[in-house]
Amino acid sequence: MNAEASGINAARYIGERVLRKEDPRLLTGRGQFVDDISLPGMLHCAFARSMIARGRILSIDTAAARDVPGVHAVYTAEDLAKVSFTMHTFFMVPTSVKTPTLAEDHVAYVGEPLALVIADSRYIAEDAASLIEVEYEEEEPVVTLADAKSGPPVHPELENNIAGQMGDEDVDDELEAALNGAAHCMTQRVIHQRVSQSPMETRGVLATRDGPEELTLYITCQSPHAVARWVSLALGLPQAAIRVIAKDVGGAFGLKNHPWKEESSVIIAAMLFGRPLKWIEDRYENLTTANPAREQDITLRIAFDGEGRLVASHSEYDLNNGAYPQAVDEGMAAQMFLWSAYKLPAYGFLTRGWYTNTTGLAAYRGPWAMETLVRETALDKAARAMGIDPVELRRRNLVSLADQPTTSVLGLPLEDITPAECLEKLVGNFDVAAFRKEQAEARGQGRYLGLGIAAYIEPTASAGTMGVMTGELAQVRIEPTGKVTATMSTHSQGHGTATTMAQVIADRLGVPYEDVTVFEGDNSRGGFGPGAAGSRQGVIAGGAAIRASEMLADKVKALAAHLLNASPDNIVIAEGMIHVEGAPEMSRSLGEIAGIAYGEPDRLPPDLGTGLEIQYRYQPPPMTFTSAAHACVVEVDAETGFVKILRWISSEDCGTVINPAVVEGQISGGLAQAIGMVLLEEMPVDERGNPTAATYKDYLLPAVSDIPEFEFLHANTPSKSIGGMRGVGEGGAIIGPPTLVNAIADALSPFGEIDVLELPLTPSKILGIIEGRDIAGTEARREAPAAATQESAPAAEPAASSEPAAAPAPAAETKIDGDWKMLMKTPMGDQEMTGHFETSGSAVSGYLASPEGNQDFAGTVEGNVVKFDLKVEKPMKITLKYNLTFEGDSVSGKVKLGMLGSAKLSGERI
Amino acid sequence: MKPAPFDYVAPATIAEACQVLSEAGGGATVLAGGQTLMPLLNLRMSQPFIIVDINRIPDLKGITRADGGTRVGPVTRQADALADETLAAHLPVMVKALSHVGHYQTRNRGTVGGSVALGEPAAEMPATAVALGATIEVQSARGTRIVPADEFYLGPYMTVLEPDELVTAIHYPDWPSGHVMLFREVAQRPGDFALVGMVGALVADGGTISRAGIAWFGMGPTPIKARQAEAALVGQSLSGMDADAIAELAVADTAPFDDHHASAEYRRTVGKRIFARTLREALQVKEAA
Repeated sequence: MNAEASGINAARYIGERVLRKEDPRLLTGRGQFVDDISLPGMLHCAFARSMIARGRILSIDTAAARDVPGVHAVYTAEDLAKVSFTMHTFFMVPTSVKTPTLAEDHVAYVGEPLALVIADSRYIAEDAASLIEVEYEEEEPVVTLADAKSGPPVHPELENNIAGQMGDEDVDDELEAALNGAAHCMTQRVIHQRVSQSPMETRGVLATRDGPEELTLYITCQSPHAVARWVSLALGLPQAAIRVIAKDVGGAFGLKNHPWKEESSVIIAAMLFGRPLKWIEDRYENLTTANPAREQDITLRIAFDGEGRLVASHSEYDLNNGAYPQAVDEGMAAQMFLWSAYKLPAYGFLTRGWYTNTTGLAAYRGPWAMETLVRETALDKAARAMGIDPVELRRRNLVSLADQPTTSVLGLPLEDITPAECLEKLVGNFDVAAFRKEQAEARGQGRYLGLGIAAYIEPTASAGTMGVMTGELAQVRIEPTGKVTATMSTHSQGHGTATTMAQVIADRLGVPYEDVTVFEGDNSRGGFGPGAAGSRQGVIAGGAAIRASEMLADKVKALAAHLLNASPDNIVIAEGMIHVEGAPEMSRSLGEIAGIAYGEPDRLPPDLGTGLEIQYRYQPPPMTFTSAAHACVVEVDAETGFVKILRWISSEDCGTVINPAVVEGQISGGLAQAIGMVLLEEMPVDERGNPTAATYKDYLLPAVSDIPEFEFLHANTPSKSIGGMRGVGEGGAIIGPPTLVNAIADALSPFGEIDVLELPLTPSKILGIIEGRDIAGTEARREAPAAATQESAPAAEPAASSEPAAAPAPAAETKIDGDWKMLMKTPMGDQEMTGHFETSGSAVSGYLASPEGNQDFAGTVEGNVVKFDLKVEKPMKITLKYNLTFEGDSVSGKVKLGMLGSAKLSGERI
Repeated sequence: MKPAPFDYVAPATIAEACQVLSEAGGGATVLAGGQTLMPLLNLRMSQPFIIVDINRIPDLKGITRADGGTRVGPVTRQADALADETLAAHLPVMVKALSHVGHYQTRNRGTVGGSVALGEPAAEMPATAVALGATIEVQSARGTRIVPADEFYLGPYMTVLEPDELVTAIHYPDWPSGHVMLFREVAQRPGDFALVGMVGALVADGGTISRAGIAWFGMGPTPIKARQAEAALVGQSLSGMDADAIAELAVADTAPFDDHHASAEYRRTVGKRIFARTLREALQVKEAA
């Protein structure tokens, strides 16, 4: 029995455009951001930063800075070293290269913090910081991807600049034959510019030491819980001693997953100095030294048969990770999803992240977005080359619901992706034929219109595959007043989780939306949640809130049934009232029932505890896919190379829509960033490593006048998670770029193809394509594609290899038996393990021991080469194929990670 | 982004302001609307000892008719100038150009004189002054001098102003009623500085052009007067004009540069096109009328 069946008019809130709970506070200037907090005795911080990209620090003279009236302290790395600290990544493991808070003996990028000034005001702190004198022994910086491949290691302890690598350096012979033998084979190269993460609220922290081991942090972040966990690990403090508060956040996009060099320095300084310290990143610091994103170079080859069906594909992908990335990105996520939504039989890749002397990379809304950009732009190019309509080409190759369940070319299981269905819905609502007619007429008048269409899938709501991506907790209470409060593990970056969670609770509990208050943004409230990262909260926390509310409703019904002498099945909760089916005179307010639940234990049934509160932690399926297809219409001015966006339609399937306005806000925000990346934004870095767009005069963010009115179509294929939601936080930034590029390329097609897609497409570049000449001057400056430079890659061989080749050591001399400490470089970071080997003739057996447990293996040994297979369940079911060579006291080799390519392993005897 | 320490004075008269500037010996900077100066101070790219705030000097504000032209007080807000009836009646191209200066919000604070005196080469106000043949009245404790706008600019943010001098008025000569207005700007976003832009006025008497004043912005280190094009236009009949050839002459006077928003080649190519297009459209309107 439910409210509808009972005839009682219960309001539904899931799916409604209710007004946001956050807005009255935010729109009247009463939001509470870090800089709004002031504590007694608080002092202000500013950094002295490196003026050069690479060099040894000979001396730092802080005497003059210390003498400035109002300066309390000046700290360098030496001072901060009094507190033990280890920089961690988003995955809550130590960074793969040692990442100092303040630079120690050398600097590795322009803007790297060198010293921290603590003063009465930020003004004084900046005055003093400008007086700090640093002597360097400057070295030639490694700035570009090409520099990284040929230059000296950015980190002297490493052999080369490879931060991470997956896939195979040699293209598989069969794959190469398939590519070369196909009816059509085409290449698409995309060079993505470096972009700045530009949240409206820049980074900032106010740290205060409340006791010897107690810290309170007001920090703008994506999850107070994740920050508390991260700080606890980095500082080795008990997590219970760390309180993190972040009530309102003005956008994050990936930049604020966890503290970085600056925030960590301030936190340590606050512990040392003992007074509350505040640092608010200014816009100059944000543009030039906050972790940027993208800067990638990919070359994708695609082969088709005579009917335009995919035959094979290969890509080579390089990513500039900067000196100290928040987590190494070797591009594996992009490879994983590149062809997942398409029926492709064979794929191979080499994907590498490189260290350079530039600011370290951080994740940015859809960090793997290159896969959609390169694939969807390549498909349109191929469609034009083969004379097939771009929609038709996708129809022939997309995985539709009818094809599922199936697995992608890299082995990813697919059960309910709907990009093909989103595409049909899109073209069902956009008359492509009429547009083509209009386009032809316009061309006759010298006007160049273009239509771009793209489709994609997005992995969302990851939970359980990586340790840090957990479930979410909902704690829902009906207070003694009858009003509802919920404490959620969620965190809003401005996108309104307090609204959507309240909607879900009101809907499932049967109370007015106005009666529900959601608390979040403070790790002392509620339980752990990774927060806003990976398009996950609507799905996971939404599911938790639904289940908790249902459980709470059941308790209310049981209590009401007992009090009203009715069957629980006949109780209906609607609009905060409790009704008994068929007996309107029996209705009671929720407040009345709640008052009894808390205050009159004698009236409760014997098996029912007092109070009305439930908590539920929801562990959803490991991954939930969202799908979409977008269309965009542009007009390109052939005289000036300017692009005007005329129309943009989104057809997305995020399952159950909790609040269409919030979903559309998420998509719009992502699309605005997409438009910025395609047309406007660029953080250029000069040959000395200086970021040269230091203000918004030079760093062009899209303004409201650059953003069209988006149109939305919502498909609603419920997911398998509670409530049926799918994540929607990042999608716009992923599908937006190829949609717009395809529209521009279509408009430009009478003039020719965009040979190499080098973003942003400035008017100079577009005019160059129209006129077939290098107007922008970029082609002359462009570096050769990855493949061509491969041979000049630095010799990463250890010094031993240059010695005269010794005859292979006889097997008898290399003792394999025993314990070996080994390190495997994987996409999720370095994995340490101990290997135990016992040989017997040509057989070998033993186990690999790691913090996750022991795994036994059995394999073969031939001379000093050991081979064995291991099946693992996490992060997905794959078979690891080990191929290890033992020489003396060292072991090295390769581990084939199934769809993940291969990883290098090295180690030594214990 | 906090300024280095400075002293602040807010004189009530021009004489007082000139006195402070004179005594500062080059260490003072004048604050008008602050739309450029405040960011420069915050970035510490400008670190004056004294800020001379001229916002409280009544004589520096307002738009009046004077000497057969229009006198614009330098501290007149761009938003006020945009709404000014005198300016609309006599110098419609100024109004058109002002609507492209910054944004609605910045024009409430930004001043006409601040923009003229700063000399950003891609800005609208300096080029408009050069195109229309304006003169700039400059005062110091040493006296007053009048500088023609096309002699005022030396390079990016560099003018003939001495450290002790203050712009006290901009005089725009009258252009006969019915003159042709020329304005076009190519900018990546509304309110941005121009990648390339042109502004000016033409007078046509009986089908022949008798007077031309045109200047470029974003096409070199200063606003650039299109002298060759002006010379070619004067005496031209409206009907037989080769707009492309004149645009070619106009571009010949420019010296554009590469930056990461646009290349010099882009600026030349598009500059020539917008020049020709603007000329054609304006003269078609004139002919039809």
